[in-house]
Amino acid sequence: MSRPRDRAGLLVAALAVAMLLTLIPLPGWLEPLRPYWVGLVLIYWTMEVPEPVSLGTAFVVGLVLDLLTVSLMGLHAFSLVVLVYLVRRFRARMRFFPPWQQALAVLALLVNDRIILLWAITLLGEPLPTWRYWLAPLVGTALWPWIFLGLDHLRLARRQADRH
Amino acid sequence: MPIDTATVTTNPAQGRPSTTRLMAYLLLAGLLMLLDQRGQFIPRFRAFAESLVAPVYRVASAPVEAVRGVSTYGRSYRSVVAQNQAQREQLLTQAGQMQRLAALEEENQRLRDLLQATAGRDVAFRFAELVQVSLDPYAHQVLIDRGAVDGVFEGQAVIDGQGVMGQVESVTGGQARVRLISDPEHAIPVQILRTGQRTVAMGTGESQRLSLPNLPLQSDVREGDVLVTSGLGERFPSGFPVAEVSRVDRDTGEAFMNVDARPLAALDRGREVLLVLLADAGADTPVGSGADDEAAHDPAQGETPP
Repeated sequence: MSRPRDRAGLLVAALAVAMLLTLIPLPGWLEPLRPYWVGLVLIYWTMEVPEPVSLGTAFVVGLVLDLLTVSLMGLHAFSLVVLVYLVRRFRARMRFFPPWQQALAVLALLVNDRIILLWAITLLGEPLPTWRYWLAPLVGTALWPWIFLGLDHLRLARRQADRH
Repeated sequence: MPIDTATVTTNPAQGRPSTTRLMAYLLLAGLLMLLDQRGQFIPRFRAFAESLVAPVYRVASAPVEAVRGVSTYGRSYRSVVAQNQAQREQLLTQAGQMQRLAALEEENQRLRDLLQATAGRDVAFRFAELVQVSLDPYAHQVLIDRGAVDGVFEGQAVIDGQGVMGQVESVTGGQARVRLISDPEHAIPVQILRTGQRTVAMGTGESQRLSLPNLPLQSDVREGDVLVTSGLGERFPSGFPVAEVSRVDRDTGEAFMNVDARPLAALDRGREVLLVLLADAGADTPVGSGADDEAAHDPAQGETPP
């Protein structure tokens, strides 16, 4: 019983780091490139960990993110629930994709997320974003292999520590 | 919040979440967004939960503050001296301008007394810095490092060296959240400085553009006109510069012109701000209606936040 809880601890730590990375200010021209850190962590966790993230967890994580970034309450909750649902729906296939194909799937997920956000901000009466708006998913995809390897490494290290 | 931990423990790994559950969560999220957008319930919950997340902002802004501290120490003696010199010159020039202003203010007060108008306002400022965290750009809000313990209150006007930035939306112990005038939900009562005509400047979502949708076709407005706060609405004290008219389009085929204005405050790149403290509000109530002078003291009695 203690092992799943330990892994949950790692998930919480990864999410905390992801949220800090979301809040850290960047110079103006880098700001639109900021990847969806929390989304990437949840994609990894849903795809690779035997006990995947539930929709309820995704929802709560989204609410915390909304609170932290002062977004419209429910916006990130919506986006993360969709994200986790899609990954779980196609989990069996995505897990056995070759790496480049998996990265493409991640790109598709992130672009889909941007479309959801675009829909929300047009409803809010905001002006349409510039083309830079679409760069963030590309940056996220470029970072995906590193996040994948990094979290894999941490999880395996944790598992070995458990065994000894 | 319902956390269905049951899914985590009992569902096998390959289990797909049900569409019903997806729909339920999406509906719930949609409902929250609707409530937040309408300003019902959620702002109060947010204000409550905010004191819990305030330490997170401190952690997130720490690296930037550290970098900034190091770069301050690293500056050469000569550049500091040069900057000091420039600032002293600026201070002297501004002190000279202030002397004239003081005389004008006195004269203004005497004229007001003659007209038996309300007393002029006495404005004081409190310095605050922006907390260096990156919030959702579509929230049009910034955090400042002063809160309830420093006497910050909801609805307080926030300006920077050039003009009005926004108003305090919510306050926690040591921090406050400021809604910028560029928010599409925000409207600020203004006055064209040259003609005295009153209107309202609405945010557009762009940090470089406000829109003035209520100016009739025949009104006298030109590019370059400065807009100042009119003091109506009792949120913003009167006379602070807000924006400069950047575009006038009379060719609309309607009864109103399209007028855009560029905010004077550095909404998207400022670092230091001033909180406006009103010692005596109500200077802007029209002549003869000094009775509601008392009401203007209490910020809570102003209009509801947009």
